[in-house]
Amino acid sequence: MRLKLMVTLTLLLFIAPLLVGFGGVIAPAFSWLPVLGLQQLSFNGWLQMLAWPGLSHSLLLTLFTGLGSTLLALCWCFIILKQCWHSQYWFKIERLLVPVLAMPHVAFVLGLVLTFSANGWLARILHHLGFSQHLYPSVIHDSYGIGLLLTLAIKETPFLLLMSMAVLQQLNIKQLQQVAASLGYNPQQTWFRLILPLWLPKLRLAIYAVTGYSLAVVDVALIIGPNQPSTFAVLVWQWFNEPNLELLPRAAAGAMLLLLLTAAIIILLRFIEWLLISYCNQWQYRGVTANVKIHNKTGSNHRIAIKLSQALLLFPLLMLPTLAIWSVAQRWRFPDLFPSRYSWRFWQQQLEPLQSLMTNSLILALISSLSAIILAIVCLEYRQKYQRGLSPWLITVPMIAPQISLLFGMQTLIYTLPGQHYWLWLSWSHWLYVFPYVYLALDGAWRSYDVRLDQTARSLA
Amino acid sequence: MALSVSQLTIQDQQGLLHIGPFNFNIEAGQILTLMGASGSGKSTLLNAIAGHLPPSFSYDGQILLQQQCLNTVPPHLRRIAILFQDDLLFPHLNIWQNLAFAIPRSVTGKARKERALKVLKQLNLIELQNSYSAQISGGQRARISMMRLLLSQPKAILLDEPFSKLDKNLRYDFRQFVFEQIQLQQIPALMVTHDDADIPVNGSVITLNPKPQQGNLC
Repeated sequence: MRLKLMVTLTLLLFIAPLLVGFGGVIAPAFSWLPVLGLQQLSFNGWLQMLAWPGLSHSLLLTLFTGLGSTLLALCWCFIILKQCWHSQYWFKIERLLVPVLAMPHVAFVLGLVLTFSANGWLARILHHLGFSQHLYPSVIHDSYGIGLLLTLAIKETPFLLLMSMAVLQQLNIKQLQQVAASLGYNPQQTWFRLILPLWLPKLRLAIYAVTGYSLAVVDVALIIGPNQPSTFAVLVWQWFNEPNLELLPRAAAGAMLLLLLTAAIIILLRFIEWLLISYCNQWQYRGVTANVKIHNKTGSNHRIAIKLSQALLLFPLLMLPTLAIWSVAQRWRFPDLFPSRYSWRFWQQQLEPLQSLMTNSLILALISSLSAIILAIVCLEYRQKYQRGLSPWLITVPMIAPQISLLFGMQTLIYTLPGQHYWLWLSWSHWLYVFPYVYLALDGAWRSYDVRLDQTARSLA
Repeated sequence: MALSVSQLTIQDQQGLLHIGPFNFNIEAGQILTLMGASGSGKSTLLNAIAGHLPPSFSYDGQILLQQQCLNTVPPHLRRIAILFQDDLLFPHLNIWQNLAFAIPRSVTGKARKERALKVLKQLNLIELQNSYSAQISGGQRARISMMRLLLSQPKAILLDEPFSKLDKNLRYDFRQFVFEQIQLQQIPALMVTHDDADIPVNGSVITLNPKPQQGNLC
């Protein structure tokens, strides 16, 4: 009974902010915002948004960087898995995944900027080698968003690899390989014809989370993305920060459009998956391709994949020294490879204000993760007992829906509430984003746990 | 067609397992039974013949299929099919597509589906063509799994305790079915089991001792 109460509580804690978030975006998008005295429903926000000159360009950039980075990360992930799963090298990849995933992405992106911008390290090195600065193609703020696309893809690949690990363990790749080999398929063909169609549908939620994130990302896009115009999520964020509150409906309309765009893209991805994996699936059982001499090529493919995984996983970590040097640089003129004067000034100046910020972050992280872990365990125990759990689709809504849309909705409501319990609201909204990850991460462990172990334990009293 | 093994010994790097030497010859349509307790290295021998031996194992001696040495041939080119304990039908393909997966590339287009359906007709299971493996019975799955192997036109077949997970009456029927098919296709078969009832009438048997360092030919 107590278990059921806790699950209901979790469900309420989870659904309430989502409803508030969506409601708080939809209402102002149609100019209904009583706090500001807007009580007449209208399409003004949408019209103002459509009147924005760079709108279609900005939407195209969002589509290109969002979809492109997802597909690129997916390809990289598949290549690495195909070549390295069950090889000696996989253990190294596994060990690298955790530190790479734990690295804050803003740190990674700032490191990228300091290395690759027009006066970054790479440009300095090229300058010394005698290359003209104009020949150097900058991927920072480039107008096509290529830098943003690559950055997002590098950032997402480790996540997809981590999620694939559980999927592949469940699929029992070794056995599939043996069956397929006994039917005449070589390992390469087995990965494409057999494992790919089994793996992809199981990775669906992770792919949608990556897509949703890439379409709606603000911080990374601000630092490294195109800015004339910027991606749509950045544009909406700028609209929200507009001092003229009369224009808030425009921002809300934008947030809602971003939400709809994300939903449309995910439906499109689901359709493509259905088309390739389920409907037009002849390619999966077309038969063994004639066995050409591929042995040498297989070896070099393996080496290329190892290099690719090293590059992708070590690259973010390589940004740390760059950040460290910049943080103590006082004087660093352009072509110099290293600063001419060092100083701890920035650290000393910032340490005090940072201290309180960091304590806040730590407390916040602790509260939200701890409560998320406790409630996720409660929900999983409940499912184990009664075979009824939270729907995975509901759980992933905060992972997939654009943060800017949801959080804006919540913010508008919180401002209308009396009192200043911001701590409560802040930890609650953090919890909303932590809970799905914790729940899904623990989900595999609970699923693979054999109930019979429990029964045996009980029978032994 | 014959599968034969001469002076085959298998050992692992830690020296925990050492089996052989094996010397046997299986003629087309014959079934050789390999008996022994678990841990005696039965599956290891099958893995060596199929080419799936883990890197920590090594072997000496020769594996021959139709007088051709298989030692350096990669697993997918050996033309040796394995029937496992589990049916291992692919869950994402329906029954006829599962069968089509194994048909050689020389059969193309619509002929692939026709070939698969012909097999289902022979089994009187044609109504299952569009079902998925989770929707059909264990006995049906076992037969379809065997037919999928045969569709790939193997030159030898390894049976890795294929009857041990079926219940008693199913077990008898499926065993008869497998033996008939092997006779019909005239291919050599090596069967691993620990149930005496599985041994075909007048079939020859090798028993493996659980103790390391020994492998006796009876």
